[in-house]
Amino acid sequence: MDNLFAIFISMALINNLVLSKFLGLCPFFGVSKKLSNAVSMGLAVIMVMTAASIVSWLIFFYILIPFGIDYMSTVIFILVIASLVQILELTIKRTNASLYNALGIYLPLITTNCAVLGITFINVRSEFNFIETIVSALGAGVGFTLVLAIMSGIRERLDIADVPKAFKGIPVAFLVAMMLGICFIAFSGMV
Amino acid sequence: MKKSNLKQEIIPVIFLTFIVCVSVIFLYATNSVTEEYIENTKNEAVKAMLSEQFTDMDDYSYDEKLDYYTVFLNNEIVGYAFVAVASGYGGPIELFVALESNFLQDEEIIIHGISVVSHSETPGLGEKIIEASFSDQFNGININDVALSKDGGKIDAISGATISSSAVVETVFKTVKEKADIIRENFNLNNEGEF
Amino acid sequence: MKEIIENLKNGIIKSNPVLILLLGLCPTLAVSTSIDNAFGMTAAVLFVLISSNIIVSLIRNYTPQRVRIPVFIVIIATLVTIVDLTMQAFLPSLSKSLGIFIPLIVVNCIILGRAEAFASKNKVPNAIMDALGMGIGFGIAITIISFFRQILGTGNLNVFGNEIFQAPGLSENPMPIFILPMGAFLVISILLATLRYSGVIKSG
Repeated sequence: MDNLFAIFISMALINNLVLSKFLGLCPFFGVSKKLSNAVSMGLAVIMVMTAASIVSWLIFFYILIPFGIDYMSTVIFILVIASLVQILELTIKRTNASLYNALGIYLPLITTNCAVLGITFINVRSEFNFIETIVSALGAGVGFTLVLAIMSGIRERLDIADVPKAFKGIPVAFLVAMMLGICFIAFSGMV
Repeated sequence: MKKSNLKQEIIPVIFLTFIVCVSVIFLYATNSVTEEYIENTKNEAVKAMLSEQFTDMDDYSYDEKLDYYTVFLNNEIVGYAFVAVASGYGGPIELFVALESNFLQDEEIIIHGISVVSHSETPGLGEKIIEASFSDQFNGININDVALSKDGGKIDAISGATISSSAVVETVFKTVKEKADIIRENFNLNNEGEF
Repeated sequence: MKEIIENLKNGIIKSNPVLILLLGLCPTLAVSTSIDNAFGMTAAVLFVLISSNIIVSLIRNYTPQRVRIPVFIVIIATLVTIVDLTMQAFLPSLSKSLGIFIPLIVVNCIILGRAEAFASKNKVPNAIMDALGMGIGFGIAITIISFFRQILGTGNLNVFGNEIFQAPGLSENPMPIFILPMGAFLVISILLATLRYSGVIKSG
């Protein structure tokens, strides 16, 4: 139990995918300034990450390794993610049309989110067991959503602030990311 | 009408399947070519690590099913070694753990030493687990003393890198106990008839 | 002929994938801790980018619209796996440094982006030039960032094991923060701001 908590905190905060592992940067900087959209996007990512981690873990340890074809993992994992995103897209389209419109192009872009593919690799390389993999994926997703939400809130304020012309937009966003990263280092004292 | 709809549905799928098949063929071919080299690199690395731990050794064997190495000198067993993965601060830490062979007869498990194969710890802090000042603490240590000093053990953590240090300590403790049991059982099984 | 040179220049300057289009940020920031890594990653990306552009362009008239994204993904994933295995076999230490970012080339937005936006709609020679331009543009960006991070973070410039340059003062007291994630964010932020300030890129 202790171990699972440590993994969750580690993935969410200490080894936050965006701020310390450089994964998921594209959506992070392209995120809309509306907090609700950022959170919706985050929730979608959590779902895809967890589902993809489970499926890819099962395939890796029960099919790829026994048959000695683990070199197929890159191809298989990305196809799993692409399929799951498709399913998620169709489900959202049918159940909540307004959410579908709000997320727009960002939904299919979850496929190319390096955080999702990245976490599937991290899980198998760390040799987590099944439960640890689920906890790791959930932690990673929550951490990603957290950072996305914080960033979205800050960008709202930044837009009104007086930023030097050269830094306006993306450069200042990177500076914010840097400061967030420094803050998140503090979490390493938690475990 | 229905026929052309079916055609529209089927052709994309056939095309995709064709592409997938071509990909698999290429991947299989590449794997066949590179497999040997990757295996060699791995074996070279293992040999280097075993020699680093056991300066006197002339041969080793690998039990694939139970995943451990037996180290020999003049046909006598001088020790065992295995790979363990710890969950470190920045990611997985790959460790190479070497054991003395005495635990086969007596109850005490003595660690011969450890090496850090790979890690993603913070440079200047957690990275110090690769330095002798940290890893040498495991040379000849009894398994029961494998814990951080603050927890009553004999391993001093790296200042400023408690997480990296405890990750290594905990994993070594856990995996050594498990592996020693496995090795002892396997040894007894193979040598039953000889006593 | 002129058109082909245009395609090449486009990728390097006008539409530099990293600095202007802001694509492929993940590997750029993660891997730019040393010039060796930068070169290695650029070589890998160039290979995949050029190969995938060629293949996608060749089959562009036969690929059904509905499955084009999965098809591109399978092609790119296969090429990436080939690079991954080849690197593990012949350049094991580079493979270890670059770690998971080699297989992550699959989701590098630059490659899928160019396949979708350019290669699937243009002839093979143009596609090759576009890939070359984008790849070189990527290489330039990642090398510049690595240069600063390596000098400030370790004080030395080691390329392929040859020590080229030792920064006086920094060699004994480097600033490791630049090797850490926050250093990466800082360097790219200043780089982008400088490029905008000097007018090379437009603000906005």
